[in-house]
Amino acid sequence: MNRIFSRRGRMLGLALASISFLTVAAATAGDVTVWVWDPNFNGAAMKEAATRYAAINPDANIIVDDSASQDDIRAKLQTQLLAGSTDGLPDIVLIQDDIAQKYLQSFPGSFEPLSDSIDMSAFAPYKVAAATFDGKSYSVPFDSGVSGLFYRSDYLEQAGFTAEDLNDITWDRLVEIGTEVKAKTGHLLLDLDMNDPGLIQMMMQSAGQWYFNADGSLNIIDNAPLKKALETFAKFYEADLVKPVSGWAEYTGAFTSGEVAAVAVGVWITGTIKANADQSGLWGIASTPRLDIEGSVNASNLGGSSWYVLASSDNKEEAIDFLKTIWASDVDFYQKILVGQGAVGSLLAAREGEAYKATDEFFGGAPVWQNFSDWLAEIPSVDYGVFTAEVRSAITAQLPAILDGGDIDAALQAINDQAQQQMQ
Amino acid sequence: MAGWGFIAPALILLGLFMIYPIIWSLWMSFQVGKGMNLSFGGLANIERLTKDPVFLRALGNTFTFFIVQVPIMIVLALLFAVALNDSTLRFRGLFRTAIFLPCVTSLIAYSTVFKSMFAGDGVVNQTLMALHLINTPISWFGDPFWAKVVIILAITWRWTGYNMIFYLAALQNIDRSIYEAARIDGVPAWARFRYLTIPMLKPVILFTTVISTIGTLQLFDEVYNFTAGSGGPSDSTVTLSLYIYNLTFKFMPSFGYSATVSWVIVVLVGILSLIQFLVARDRRSA
Repeated sequence: MNRIFSRRGRMLGLALASISFLTVAAATAGDVTVWVWDPNFNGAAMKEAATRYAAINPDANIIVDDSASQDDIRAKLQTQLLAGSTDGLPDIVLIQDDIAQKYLQSFPGSFEPLSDSIDMSAFAPYKVAAATFDGKSYSVPFDSGVSGLFYRSDYLEQAGFTAEDLNDITWDRLVEIGTEVKAKTGHLLLDLDMNDPGLIQMMMQSAGQWYFNADGSLNIIDNAPLKKALETFAKFYEADLVKPVSGWAEYTGAFTSGEVAAVAVGVWITGTIKANADQSGLWGIASTPRLDIEGSVNASNLGGSSWYVLASSDNKEEAIDFLKTIWASDVDFYQKILVGQGAVGSLLAAREGEAYKATDEFFGGAPVWQNFSDWLAEIPSVDYGVFTAEVRSAITAQLPAILDGGDIDAALQAINDQAQQQMQ
Repeated sequence: MAGWGFIAPALILLGLFMIYPIIWSLWMSFQVGKGMNLSFGGLANIERLTKDPVFLRALGNTFTFFIVQVPIMIVLALLFAVALNDSTLRFRGLFRTAIFLPCVTSLIAYSTVFKSMFAGDGVVNQTLMALHLINTPISWFGDPFWAKVVIILAITWRWTGYNMIFYLAALQNIDRSIYEAARIDGVPAWARFRYLTIPMLKPVILFTTVISTIGTLQLFDEVYNFTAGSGGPSDSTVTLSLYIYNLTFKFMPSFGYSATVSWVIVVLVGILSLIQFLVARDRRSA
């Protein structure tokens, strides 16, 4: 009996010892770990940054972990911050802009303020605003979600449209063009996922509004751009121009396969589109259509993310120095990731670099990067608030009713009520 | 004393990892607030439940799944079990394995396969179009009704074999002479099933119904994987478990409230199991 007991005790001790050994091994001093979610995009850009930093600082060891999806990273981050157990967290984490305030405000003190050590005026102001809380900025802004309308120029040509016909138009005009394209080529205009109100957010932001007022209260019922965006969204369905899809793979599949004629999305999709080299020359890019409403411009944003340093990190100084040296200063680096990953960074000085002036044969020889950086400067800045996920969920709950021709004011009321309920 | 010594490690672990969290979650369910800023809120969370449209939708969906899916699955499992218990049937072992196999398949793997089968241009739509049963592809995950249908199909596919195994085991314990006597008396096959098999399997049917009820009330994996965690379209597939997950890990963390929703599941499981026991007992005494 005693022997069994002591053997059990030894095994338990061994198990505990190996757990603590692993924890220690994971946090060796000097290593800077980074969480990213897209090996082809932000992962590749971060690895390039790490290589550049290593050339300056041979001692540095930046470990880029691109094994988890964005949803998983959010869940891991939220769980560990809630549990107050920061051992497993990285030193640097990538967070999407429209969700950043939730982390900053509900986990105060968990992230390191960076505005003391890095000059934030070097970045696009709307990116800095997204990560500013209580007068301090907490991120090194990374990719812009500057949006554009990517379209199959061959389909539009068949329907009798030129690149000029698509530039600086309204969404209503796009519905007309899409109807024409469908009649002449048989291709639907867009594919949309009813669980993802991204396009609606993009439309709304083009008029400088978001789901919340400056004081954090809900801005739904009297939000004219949101109402107009929902109406416009429904128009695509009324005109029968939408292929419904579910999930990211189906969404990207519909336009990369040539099934639909266009996609309005953030610039970060460039890499996905260009992955099909045989479609080179068949694509064009136009500015984001605007809402047919006062104050809406032909520029908006969808997605986009920034680097945050965790306050629990043992290697804060290395991490900040790394971000400062490469991400906040190295203009050449931004040229490299622009060409390599289609990453439009938000360091303003990078826009003067050579790559930004280059044309792209894939998009019919257009000066795409110059265009995107021009649009970037026009994006209306909005405050993303802390409850975006809740309102998104409330909107997706009402979308089927709206698309069935339901009353938009009633839907806005329902969205408001549900969001109000969840914001307690 | 020696006996206690043997079971002490298990008791300590059980207390630490089960009893303590259960009690703690009950305490949590009375807390309100965001993130870590929690304070005692009395019955505020229960009041919030009654006004929360998403919770009510999740509750409705969970019950739809439960009321539609559990009876279909139990009846199917029973029919399969009786058919595969027939000693004259060839390849019985093969059929049994084939029907049981889904429930040992990895959840993620089968969800992914189902999702691709029911995609817009997936094999299901293609087959239905080729058979001229439909003209345009059904948007399985874009339509609130069909999304529910796919989830019901998926869980039925996965768990029917599991229940069948219980029935098979029970059937093998029934004395064959009972059936022989019935056959000699000229009782037809249907009546033998209705008046002999089902009554004799009643305890097992009760058991499988209770565990299926518990399983369905905790439905999470299929919905999460099919709808990328959204419970869409239009919250038509959101279940109580998925809502708990969203409240904790997707939305502004609301631990207290999600603990309250968890306890709703506990209470529902208790009530439904009790009802099932009472129904079964009444029949026995009648």
